[in-house]
Amino acid sequence: MTTVATVKGTLRKRSVRIGLVVLAWIVLAFVLRGLNTLVLPTSENTPFTSVLRQAAASIRGNRTQSGAFIYFFNPIRAFVESFIEVIRAVISLPAGNNIIPLVGWLGVVAIIGFIVYATSNWRTSLLAMGLMFLCGVLGMWTFTMDTLAMTLGAVILSLAVGLPLGVWAGLSDRVLAVLRPGLDLAQILPTLVYLAPLALFFLIGTAAATIATMIYSIPIAIRITSHAIRSLNAGPVEAGVSMGSTRWQLLTKVQLPMAKHTIALGVNQTMMAALSFVVIAALIGAPGLGKPVVAALIIRDVGDGVVAGLAVVFLAIMLDRATTAAVARTGTFVHESGRARTRRRIGLGAAFVAMVVAIVLSRYELWAAVFPPNLVMGDTIASATSAASEWITTNLYFLTTGFREFVTVGFLNPLETMLADAPWYLTIIMISLIGALIGGRKAAITSFVLLALIVLTGLWNDTMVTLAQVLIATVIVMLVGVAVGVLVGRSRRVERWMKPILDAGQTLPAFVYLVPVLALFGPTRFAAIACGFFYAAPIVVRVVADGVRDVPSSMVEAATAAGSTKAQIITKVQLPASKRSLMLGANQGLIFVLAVVVIGGFVGAGGLGYLVIVGQSKPELQGKGLAAGLAILFLGVVLDRIAQAGAGRRGRGDAA
Amino acid sequence: MTASVIEPTLTVPQAASAISVRSLWKVFGPNADRIVGSPEADLSRAALLESTGCVAAVRDVSFDVLPGEVFVVMGLSGSGKSTLVRCLTRLIEPTAGSVLLNGEDVLTASPARLRELRRTAFSMVFQHFGLLPHRKVIDNIAYSLEINGVKKDARYARANEVIELVGLHGYANHYPEQLSGGMQQRVGLARALAVDPQVMFLDEPFSALDPLIRRDMQAEVIRLHHDLGKTMVFITHDLSEAMKLGDRIAIMRDGAVVQMGTPEELVASPADDYVADFIRDIPKSHVLTVRAIARPLQPGEDSTGPEIDVTTIVRDATPVIIGARRPVKVIENGVLVGFVTSDDVLRLIGSDGVDGP
Repeated sequence: MTTVATVKGTLRKRSVRIGLVVLAWIVLAFVLRGLNTLVLPTSENTPFTSVLRQAAASIRGNRTQSGAFIYFFNPIRAFVESFIEVIRAVISLPAGNNIIPLVGWLGVVAIIGFIVYATSNWRTSLLAMGLMFLCGVLGMWTFTMDTLAMTLGAVILSLAVGLPLGVWAGLSDRVLAVLRPGLDLAQILPTLVYLAPLALFFLIGTAAATIATMIYSIPIAIRITSHAIRSLNAGPVEAGVSMGSTRWQLLTKVQLPMAKHTIALGVNQTMMAALSFVVIAALIGAPGLGKPVVAALIIRDVGDGVVAGLAVVFLAIMLDRATTAAVARTGTFVHESGRARTRRRIGLGAAFVAMVVAIVLSRYELWAAVFPPNLVMGDTIASATSAASEWITTNLYFLTTGFREFVTVGFLNPLETMLADAPWYLTIIMISLIGALIGGRKAAITSFVLLALIVLTGLWNDTMVTLAQVLIATVIVMLVGVAVGVLVGRSRRVERWMKPILDAGQTLPAFVYLVPVLALFGPTRFAAIACGFFYAAPIVVRVVADGVRDVPSSMVEAATAAGSTKAQIITKVQLPASKRSLMLGANQGLIFVLAVVVIGGFVGAGGLGYLVIVGQSKPELQGKGLAAGLAILFLGVVLDRIAQAGAGRRGRGDAA
Repeated sequence: MTASVIEPTLTVPQAASAISVRSLWKVFGPNADRIVGSPEADLSRAALLESTGCVAAVRDVSFDVLPGEVFVVMGLSGSGKSTLVRCLTRLIEPTAGSVLLNGEDVLTASPARLRELRRTAFSMVFQHFGLLPHRKVIDNIAYSLEINGVKKDARYARANEVIELVGLHGYANHYPEQLSGGMQQRVGLARALAVDPQVMFLDEPFSALDPLIRRDMQAEVIRLHHDLGKTMVFITHDLSEAMKLGDRIAIMRDGAVVQMGTPEELVASPADDYVADFIRDIPKSHVLTVRAIARPLQPGEDSTGPEIDVTTIVRDATPVIIGARRPVKVIENGVLVGFVTSDDVLRLIGSDGVDGP
């Protein structure tokens, strides 16, 4: 009697039910192996992809005739392109009959130094100038300038759209409700998905790359600005109303000045998002550092890739430090006292004079105009890196390849077999069942419908290949992320030590991880998994650490007083109490991993990412590339819905 | 009993009141405007929430505030006092009722007129100060004048006047975050005074302050009121604060006023157990006048004692009563109304914490 009751009680537990479903899935997948797997050779089209290909072809053919193009897309393209060209003309493109741009390298370094000094402090300014100089030393000056011009242009345009919309969404619930689905979707959408459709409408080149970047970074600007307005301390705002402010006075004299700090943070986030996207937008013709990275990846030249990747890293650190230092300055509302202000004015004046001198020099002196070739060490670094990578792959073979094979053979292959070699209907039913157990009926229906749509695109098998990589990478990220996150969350010392690493990890564009990963693990599916791991780990660590740190200290104290060991405190108090953060971390981890794993298609991971990239280069497969983008989107929504339902929250937090 | 305390205030002609509030309601929830006047309006708070999903934060509140009076609204958290004060300036739109400021209907004022009233006629002091963190003290104080289009010199001159008035000399160029809580609330007071309003609303202005600072600030308000004679509506959850500052006190519970009267009236005759429970901890000798303990001369007592006025608070009369060593004469308008001895004072003090005077 009691045993029956116990069994029934256990069955009621969610984790047990999920375990049973997975077990049934494994058995059925083994039994039905090889049936209805919907494998589709890369070069073959399905009815759906053919339709897409024709649609794409007709769009391309209509560029000069259709009204939508003449009155909408083409003017936008022309405007954006000329806007970017103006910036490029100053710092990167040869001006007129000259071989150098309007301002040479010394002038650009001086301008950056002055702006950073004016918005933050001289120490950050020196750092910024040093990093820019290093980009020159790498031999990447012109590429760096192109990336900088693209990033700045895209950021300016993004803020011009995003800040007003963000303020509006901050003030009006209705506007936020209208924008919300788009904002949520933008958080799930992997960067790679944006590229092909935009290139279709805006041609390959600067304009399409900039607009894709904007579409990626505008939601971030909107989200943070609206959050900045909404999270304001209600007291001063109410006081402002009670004193008879008009709406405009309230906005300009109370709300915006108070929200300045958070909005500045939004500018920083928008900037970093734009930079990471500009690098990857090299795939649709964006000028800049992405080009040498892509070229190096294609010919698997680790040395060149590392040199270009380092320049991206330097530029990213420069932009991040400069904007965070500016954010820190807006952190206090107290202005500096009289004497400090005078000193600063003198400093600014001197810096301004130095900048003007440098600009003039850079226009008349060759050494200040073109980065001196004898200072360039790019080739040396490239060959040294290549040698080092060679040494690692030959001498540490057992480590890199060993680990790779361990994960690939032990986990990835069985999972891929289970997902991709089983009948499609089995997989859909099982995923929907798990969705139902975790997130209820709504999550189950969403999963079922979207997975069925993927079947209709004809790219089911490729989707399952990608899914297998995403799941493995997420599990690894969560294992490592929770372990490290608990350490960071429990110890201030570890946190201080890890902070720079986490900061750097979150600012680096996903693309640059490909280079070292490729060097270590070769063009394999595991390289994509490793890439996803490196990209997603910082955010997971941070979310878990925040969760552990936010566990009330009284709880930990009570557990300690009751005589718990350290391990007991972690497993019985801190982890259960921060369960929501763990689920949030898993959700973020999944989305981040998906974004990067599809990029892994570039280094031989196959799956949907490979189809997107192939579709980009082969016109006859363009429809397939677009369909793959759709499939990635559907897969992302399914993963997000299930994980989000697991985290038990409606709508995403604005600060996330 | 209750009626006899409330009635006199309602018979005051409206034109003479600075503020006149009639049947004011604020109901939160779906279809809130249907509740007022329907049978559901008489339901208790829990029953109303159960049957309609609405919460009546302010229910059928009426009162008048005389010019120059300090009118205190006192109640525990959730009693609706903060909602009430926000309804008076329409920071929260009331559901029904009327609010007259010097005879002008505030609730039907156009948005422009309402802004004008807020800029010139009302001002408000908030529990958490509500200072603008990005503005210096002087610019915080001058904010209302600034948005009303007063030129910089004129508004700074006025702001400096009030800075002196509230004891903020030398702090004009500080930022709020550089000041202590007490100093910040002085800025809040100065800001409210800067426009020379007809009525000041103070919403638990000292609840966020330390007890010692709170006492200083209460003294400051008494001084300012004495010097400037502003009409004030003062919200508090602290009965001793209410007793100290209020000319009259309205006690709220569950959105309704349960009793209204002078401190002495409340202590002498609490309307119900709720009010009685409240005032239990108030030392009666601090609130009641000698009228409450005056009695006829007993046979054999000395009738040659000194005189005190009938409106003297017992506590203040104590030195005279003890020093006299014989019954003290209680005089009202030159007429003898009774005698008091130190035994009577002791008996009053001894009855503290026990119901009834």
